[in-house]
Amino acid sequence: MKHKIRFTINGEVKEIEVQPNKTLLKMLREDLDLIGVKEGCGAGECGACTVLVNNKPVNSCLMLAVEVDGKEILTIEGLSDGINLDPLQESFLKHNAIQCGYCTPGMVMSAKALLNRNSHPKEEDVKEALAGNLCRCTGYKRIVDAVLDAVKKGGGK
Amino acid sequence: MKEFEYLKPDSIKKTISILSQFGEKAQILNGGTDLIVEMRDKIIQPEYLVDIKAIPQLNRITYNKQDGLNIGATVTLNEISNSKVVQTHYPILVKACKTVGSYQVRNRATLAGNICNASPAADTAPPLLVLEAKVNIIGPTGEKIVPINQFFTGVKKNILKKGEIVTSITIPPIKGKWVGVYLKQGRKKEVDLATVGVAVVCIRDEVRIALGAVAPVPVRAFKTEELLKGKTIDESLLEKAGRSALTEVSPISDVRSSQEYREEIIKVLVRRAILQAKGGHIL
Repeated sequence: MKHKIRFTINGEVKEIEVQPNKTLLKMLREDLDLIGVKEGCGAGECGACTVLVNNKPVNSCLMLAVEVDGKEILTIEGLSDGINLDPLQESFLKHNAIQCGYCTPGMVMSAKALLNRNSHPKEEDVKEALAGNLCRCTGYKRIVDAVLDAVKKGGGK
Repeated sequence: MKEFEYLKPDSIKKTISILSQFGEKAQILNGGTDLIVEMRDKIIQPEYLVDIKAIPQLNRITYNKQDGLNIGATVTLNEISNSKVVQTHYPILVKACKTVGSYQVRNRATLAGNICNASPAADTAPPLLVLEAKVNIIGPTGEKIVPINQFFTGVKKNILKKGEIVTSITIPPIKGKWVGVYLKQGRKKEVDLATVGVAVVCIRDEVRIALGAVAPVPVRAFKTEELLKGKTIDESLLEKAGRSALTEVSPISDVRSSQEYREEIIKVLVRRAILQAKGGHIL
């Protein structure tokens, strides 16, 4: 039986019907065309599917869509205002913290959540926050540098 | 993932009646970080999924000196490690919670879920064993309290019968000064299952030791504790403790480690954890 759920996605209230066996990840990609969120492992190991639910980063592959009823979701598509990128996104670009780009939306969302809860994170904090996001192209140095630089520029406010 | 009915009762009473009605066909959904993967892989295929996260009284942490700490079933691992009360009184538990999965996983995963899943490698199990935690359970026949060392019955098996749910976990107060340590050896520093986990609590002349990932269930090393009780800890006693702990477990070889490596690490971590808890330096 389908369930009618109502939630806020990137600032917009939506009401849709979903099958209980659909993950949040699948709903975002297949029903809402938010394909910034990626499926990597589908088991909570890689973090490519990270989105914020009520301001907390979660693996959208490990959550059912029905569970977000009444909640607020932020995906990579909701970070920029349509004209300007989020300072974190700017910083990822500046530091070339992207290679193939598959892990990037998850990385940026984990970093965004960190800056929301801690406006002055240290390098250890950044590494802890990003430990659940795997990048298989390159190292993590540029990514950590990008986050720390965004903090320096007041990205954490 | 196979189709199922999703139910979200808002009380314990309704939950038990649903679980009793559907029996084997029903499965509790808490944080879902283990369950959803097992459903995806079709290892578990429930017809009814009962989400317990809308039950208000399961989402609380309470603490007082007489009763100790009580952690509701739906409280997440991040909520525990961010709790001032837990940080102040049970830093060993904060340490253990922080070693489970990633930050994202810990925003969903719960303490109750970690023990109900009953993985031999559950990071919170060894600390709960040395803290002598009690598991509060409600079922169709009423409430009961089960000591944590009787809760695990085998690999991924626990004492719960169908229709029963864990409502909270209580950590009784410990009188006097004590120190707790949890040490985990994994293949990498972050986001990995334990190859070996060792928890130690020292209370005056008493030493409590528990080990994870080295037997079908997390193990309290009572014989080794007896060996140490009331004795001055010196080098030879530490060595004996390591060897004794080894006799109380049955490590195997698996994807994470060989049996031989686990045996070495058990000795190292038992020694290191006792030393740390006793305030000594790590040799």
